[in-house]
Amino acid sequence: MDAIAGKSGARAAQEARRRPLVERHSVLTRVTHWAGTLAFVVLVMSGLQIFNAAPYLDASDKSDPHHRVLAISGVTDAAGRPAGVTQILGLRLTTTGWLGYTDDGQGGRSERAFPGWITFPGYQDLAGGRRWHLFFAWVMVLAGGAYLLGGALNRDLSLLVLRPADVPKLLPMQLYYLRLRREPPPYGKYNPLQKAAYTLVLFVFAPLIVASGLALSPGVDAFAGPLTALFGGRQFARLWHFVFMLALLGFLGVHLLLVASTGAFNNMRSMITGRYRPGKHEGQGP
Amino acid sequence: MKRRLFLAAGAAALAGCAKVTNGLNDSAGVHAVLDAVERLDYAAIGTRGRAKLYRAADVDRDFRTNGFDTPSDSLYDGLVKDGFARYELAVSGEVEHPQAFTLRELRALASLTQITRHDCVEGWSAIGQWGGVPLGAFLRLVRPTPKARYVVFRCFDRSPDGDPYYESLDLGQAAHPQTLLALDLNGKPLDPDHGAPVRLRVPTQLGYKSAKWVRRIELAAELGGLYGGNGGYWEDQGYEWYAGI
Repeated sequence: MDAIAGKSGARAAQEARRRPLVERHSVLTRVTHWAGTLAFVVLVMSGLQIFNAAPYLDASDKSDPHHRVLAISGVTDAAGRPAGVTQILGLRLTTTGWLGYTDDGQGGRSERAFPGWITFPGYQDLAGGRRWHLFFAWVMVLAGGAYLLGGALNRDLSLLVLRPADVPKLLPMQLYYLRLRREPPPYGKYNPLQKAAYTLVLFVFAPLIVASGLALSPGVDAFAGPLTALFGGRQFARLWHFVFMLALLGFLGVHLLLVASTGAFNNMRSMITGRYRPGKHEGQGP
Repeated sequence: MKRRLFLAAGAAALAGCAKVTNGLNDSAGVHAVLDAVERLDYAAIGTRGRAKLYRAADVDRDFRTNGFDTPSDSLYDGLVKDGFARYELAVSGEVEHPQAFTLRELRALASLTQITRHDCVEGWSAIGQWGGVPLGAFLRLVRPTPKARYVVFRCFDRSPDGDPYYESLDLGQAAHPQTLLALDLNGKPLDPDHGAPVRLRVPTQLGYKSAKWVRRIELAAELGGLYGGNGGYWEDQGYEWYAGI
């Protein structure tokens, strides 16, 4: 937090060193954090591999071009060269090299939606992508489940969940981050914006991405039909699954930015060894 | 110059990414671990429940075709020519009453029409009205022996490499009340492109289980001895045998 506060220089560093290291993250938190990270990366990459087999998303139950929200395709341009086209909600973009006609994961280019460097595996292999996806889906659910269960038992989770009392502190905290306010509102182990982000991820987006994934399964649909209906049908669930993935990727981007900008070494140490040197504003409130 | 170097370094890093994921995916040892969750998925999902039934208005009049080309060998073409009058569906293997059924006999057994969604492993879905013989009732006619565990479907179509299409279900999946030996699509006899004269419909699993152009049925104790040993053409290419997810 010191970097954000803007109090740079030797004095701030000296002050920080005087604060003792504390045990911030339990073994369970650290292990499940990294297992979940690995699983998330493989799930996104193998998910894009699976997407490539039908590179379009429809807001409907069965496939229906009239309800197409996103389509990525390879075409031949006016000059007769292969090109990539991405259509989002009626918007048509040329995305040659990135989407539609791009890296084939084997050193060349081919007609495919997402490039080989971001799919798992790199080359087009739906069967392989499904195996990775379905395996790491279990890893993610087990890691997430263990974290939530453990966190509920040792009350770690209660420090992280956004409570009604935190809501009025959200705006002041954001203003502080934007350097429009000198001091943050008082907070405990996590600041109100962290609580909001983690609560959204753990209790909204994580359950939704699991549920929308399960809704795609014809076997699950057979005994949990209302689940698929909740998302607007099977193809719509596929669209939601993609949207939730984007939301979680957005969280990851912000998360990485803040890890790096609020003391990268201290933050990484806390998630590896558990030990953490608190910032001067931390632990001053609930 | 610097920019070009930067782009080249970036490209190399990205190409490295694909090298790593490709290498991991090519490892049989890695797949032995990954593929183990298929059993877990089957145990968790199984053959419970019923696929959703749709209304006539939901049906895709022009039902999407996929998979291999319609068979065009002299055997199949000959059957098409006289409207499958000489087609016989032979049932053999671990059964007490091996028999062959003509299309007319199969039509006499047809008792179920259902409008269900077909979910392709690629990701798309289409809705069709399927009519035919419930597989569970059909199997009771030929009486599987106590050794029988799987129903194997051998088909007329072949891959571009000439490998025959085949599929299999276990007896539990075969007995699911919606598993159908389909003869009709959208109120008309199946046309050659949609699997005539008989195709399988397994609405609780992905589309590749719903084999088209069924030629023979065998009851078997094991799947290991057939072709690649994984119970189906696509299974031999790495897809799950349990395709409920």
